Amino acid sequence: MLKRLILIRGIEGLMVLLLAAIPLLVNNSFVLGLLTLLAIYGILLIGLDITVGYLGLVNLAQAAFLGLGAYAAGLTVTIFGFGMLSALAVSTVIGLVMGTLIAFPSLRLDGPQFALATLSFSALSATVLNEWESLTLGAQGLQLHRPLLFGISLDAKGFYWLCLFFLGIVWIAMHNLLSSQWGRAFEALRDSPIATDAMGIGTYRHKVTAFALGSGLGGLAGGLYAFNFEYLQPHVFIYELMVILLLGVVLGGRKSLWGSFVGAVLIVLLPNLLSNRILFQFFSSTGFLFTLGAGGMALYQKKNRLFQAVAPMIAMGLLVVGSFTVQNTEDWRKAIFALMLFSVVVGLPEGLMGFTSRFLSRIFSIEAEPFAPLSGLEQVLVRKPVDGSPLLQIQELKCYFGGIKAVDGVSLTVASGTIHGLIGPNGSGKSTLVNLVSGLYVPTDGTILFHGKPLVQGSLFAVARQGICRTFQNLQLFSELTALDNVMVSMKGFYSTPLPLVLLGLAKRAEKRAEADSLALLEMVGLSGEARTAAKDLPYGAQRFLEIARAVARRPTLIILDEPAAGLAQPDVVTLLGIIRRIHQQGITVIMIEHHMEVVSGLCDIVTVLDGGKVIAEGVPDEIRRNPLVIEAYLGKGSEPPAATAECRLSPMPVPA
Amino acid sequence: MLVVNDLYAGYGMSEVLMGTSLAVKRGTVVALIGPNGAGKTTTMRTISGGINPTRGEILLDGKPVQGLEPSQIARLGLAHAPEGRKVFGPLSVEDNLLLGAFTRLPHFFGFQAKAAGDLDKIYELFPRLKERRRQTSGTLSGGEQQMLAIGRALMARPKVVLLDEPSMGLAPVIVDEVFDIIRRLKGSGITLLLVEQSAKRALEVADYAYVMERGRIAVEGVPQELQKNERVIAAYLGN
Amino acid sequence: MNQAVIQLMVSGALMGLVYALVAYGFQLTYATSKSINFGQGELVMLSAFFSLTLTNLGLPYYLMIPGGLLFGVVAGLFVERAGVRLALEQKSEGWILMTIILGLFGVSAAENIWGRDDRPFPTPIPTEPMQFFDISITPLEISVAIGVVMIMVIIELFKRKTLLGKAFEAVSADRDAAELMGISATRTIMLSYGLSGLVAALAGILVSPITTVGPTMASALVLKAFSVAVVAGLESGFGVVIVGLFLGSLESLTSFYVGSGWREAPGLVLLILALAVRPTGIFGKAVIRKV
Repeated sequence: MLKRLILIRGIEGLMVLLLAAIPLLVNNSFVLGLLTLLAIYGILLIGLDITVGYLGLVNLAQAAFLGLGAYAAGLTVTIFGFGMLSALAVSTVIGLVMGTLIAFPSLRLDGPQFALATLSFSALSATVLNEWESLTLGAQGLQLHRPLLFGISLDAKGFYWLCLFFLGIVWIAMHNLLSSQWGRAFEALRDSPIATDAMGIGTYRHKVTAFALGSGLGGLAGGLYAFNFEYLQPHVFIYELMVILLLGVVLGGRKSLWGSFVGAVLIVLLPNLLSNRILFQFFSSTGFLFTLGAGGMALYQKKNRLFQAVAPMIAMGLLVVGSFTVQNTEDWRKAIFALMLFSVVVGLPEGLMGFTSRFLSRIFSIEAEPFAPLSGLEQVLVRKPVDGSPLLQIQELKCYFGGIKAVDGVSLTVASGTIHGLIGPNGSGKSTLVNLVSGLYVPTDGTILFHGKPLVQGSLFAVARQGICRTFQNLQLFSELTALDNVMVSMKGFYSTPLPLVLLGLAKRAEKRAEADSLALLEMVGLSGEARTAAKDLPYGAQRFLEIARAVARRPTLIILDEPAAGLAQPDVVTLLGIIRRIHQQGITVIMIEHHMEVVSGLCDIVTVLDGGKVIAEGVPDEIRRNPLVIEAYLGKGSEPPAATAECRLSPMPVPA
Repeated sequence: MLVVNDLYAGYGMSEVLMGTSLAVKRGTVVALIGPNGAGKTTTMRTISGGINPTRGEILLDGKPVQGLEPSQIARLGLAHAPEGRKVFGPLSVEDNLLLGAFTRLPHFFGFQAKAAGDLDKIYELFPRLKERRRQTSGTLSGGEQQMLAIGRALMARPKVVLLDEPSMGLAPVIVDEVFDIIRRLKGSGITLLLVEQSAKRALEVADYAYVMERGRIAVEGVPQELQKNERVIAAYLGN
Repeated sequence: MNQAVIQLMVSGALMGLVYALVAYGFQLTYATSKSINFGQGELVMLSAFFSLTLTNLGLPYYLMIPGGLLFGVVAGLFVERAGVRLALEQKSEGWILMTIILGLFGVSAAENIWGRDDRPFPTPIPTEPMQFFDISITPLEISVAIGVVMIMVIIELFKRKTLLGKAFEAVSADRDAAELMGISATRTIMLSYGLSGLVAALAGILVSPITTVGPTMASALVLKAFSVAVVAGLESGFGVVIVGLFLGSLESLTSFYVGSGWREAPGLVLLILALAVRPTGIFGKAVIRKV
């Protein structure tokens, strides 16, 4: 662990020292200008990477935030005479606030809406900067002077060091954030937004927070940008810049601070690269050879589709041809960016850093950090007192979809400390009922009381926070995350550290405790040996158990299991029964939808049978199996003795007493 | 009619099928049973083109079809009613059925007239679908959707039908109905490969059956034999 | 309302129909693949330039139109192949970035092939205004309205009344199941991109005589088309027409009363508001989350 930390921190520290030392060694104002821009773009791209990399959304507004931040800093200095730090603070806050405002409407849907909203926002801010001439002076441009920092006037070198200092701070804060529960939640909600909500991690508010933070960094970079150039014009912050920024993030490598840095280096060098013909020819040819090599290799190993290998070759080939034939490369800038971006997105989607780190990890293997010692299960799941009082009361609940009465006046009471079975034919409304209670659907009519008080309706997230967690019939795991991380995501609500403290790196202890607790829960479901396995690589049965462990991690009072035994082989069913009993022992009340009658009989204290959206019977399992209504509607033809109803006869299963 | 020889296939890195071979003769119902994760559904999906096999061959009416797109295989006369039914939710019942015959019907005009006869046959088999012909299929019950999935597959007048887990998620009463339908289809001479979780039911209706374990065919035979086979009894039919 | 306001609204509404047509192009591809071409504006612009070149080569108007439309179809197919197919196969949203990239390349190509300046687009349809109830409308504007409505009606009929049209919806509902019915999802999506390209080309040919042709027309058109598509929802063809008419007149009023620099603003504000109030659009269907 120490080795790993020293290695990584060491490289980062060395890099900063090196960057800081360059102006002392090379006395060249051109180089200094590039370095300053590098630090500013570094901050900007780290901010952009939060949405593009971690949330996986196409964000077209970062250039606009740069512009808004720049103008905010410029105007506060010229109009109010703000100092350096207060002006930068204003830029950052403008970024944060505008980011939040734009995030609220645009992050509600998946799909292209977010990209569209950010695009519109960019266009709108460009219009405002251009047209609000009384304030921004419009196309004429805004002249300003670099303000004082603590009464000191910074020269170019000093300002560079300030920018580098900010880059360092941002780097550390982002590192803290992304390696904390927050970073894990960001990755989780990309895999399954429904599950993050159901674990009490508000998908929406996490997305908004992430986007706002990224926009805040955009604003900060804008402020620095203004003080670097001391002259602002609206047309700089346009669409084309946005594409260049995306090129930086994607080519550098998404989901990586280093990737953003490499991307920034690239963006800074790009104009110079384009203006020098020989250099441009050299780089495009190198790129072309690289696509030839990598594409050919991938094709040979049959790793890639033909298109993925050949399209970048064609694009880079065009670039090479262009570099030798086109007279004025400046005219073709956009096409050049487009071809480069195209090749990277298709041929090297992981970016340069992704590629490099994969390459490096093959050469050097750094051992993973050992886990924290696991907590005792009794401490993790503190036994809850149960008294058999009504915990969940559903009264005359109705849910209609158009003309279909999915749930049509269901009333039932779940007593504290029981395992309550919910059975019925397909389409009888079981799943809808559960979706209503857990907040996925809003009921048409009726009330749900939890602990005697009305339960929030229509919000998975709020319901989970009140102590009701659920699993899903069709698994909703965070498939890219490890088993341990899946459970830890769910701990976020429990060990939560306020965002500012997380940024300062003060969440490490809570992290360790969450890890210890999660390991205990993994052991409970028999998966402690698979803690580092990605959820998608676990066998099917293990995935079901992992979902239960994840739901339990939120420490619910009531857990809803939606067909936990669906598709499980017999030995797994036995394990499942054990797990459910174990949870129940800790005083967690269980609602269980199930088709396997033997699972229901083996576990449930009471069973409610639904048919056609209504309750047709309720009672202890043995009564239910003898109930003629139930046999007719559900258990199947013939009046066979209850011990041998259709399902039981077909797949008898040992039910441990 | 359908022959599978030494088939290897899987998802990404993990191989699920490891040398599966089976054959479905014209006019027979063949059942494919086995535990979860044995590769039954993967076999079906590989036959119908959803997964590219890494090795082996699939012959449909004597023609190799491995490596073709699902739509191409469907045009050669294979109909697959997939696991989970997969009806086209926003479309009406009748539109679903018409699309089942997509390969045979004119794509622009006059398709209703040409399909009328087939529709009548399907409605005769599933009177419930006729009642609901204008209803959006997403709003049907699970059992009705299963009927629709079967009907849609039949509309293609296929040479071979693959039917994957028709009983999945259905209440026992509905499962009985579905199997009654399969029996009637068998009577009319259909060529059917049936994957089914409940071995007992599958063996009741099949002419021949394969038992699959870990990507291979472990046992095969006529149902009467399999019902006596100790290994099969132990694993699937209960003691 | 006084005369001038009505006049502004009517001319604006006619432009709005063009936005609706471009937005309809989004709907066509969204229907089969839940993807849209972010470079649709560039497609309109390139088709218009291509048609202009055909005209300059001496092709008569009625031959230039099919030529321009054909170009649009081919370009639409190219976008699908180069920008969309891979992302859809990987079930990612990579198509957003890819189509932006292709659009950027298109703009650059147009700037270098045809120049950065706006150029007039000749048309045989008369441009002398006629008076209807004291509102002046040119036959050119009427031809735009007729062209837009006609193509949309034809395509809607195709989608609802033919089996191939129903296959569009099947692919959108369940791609894998559609494949099992012998419907090639790839070809259906290609077809929808081809149609979308055709619609874009028609929009270019119709609007260019009014606005002139230039590389900047792409971004101006596409932003408003986005607004129309989002406000109306990505499903309703009828909706885009209504919203298009509304936005067009709103924009024309803004441009006159606030300043022409602000003409983009109402559409952009509407788009963001629509996402806030009704993210699936006024005419869109609410989504039921399934688990």
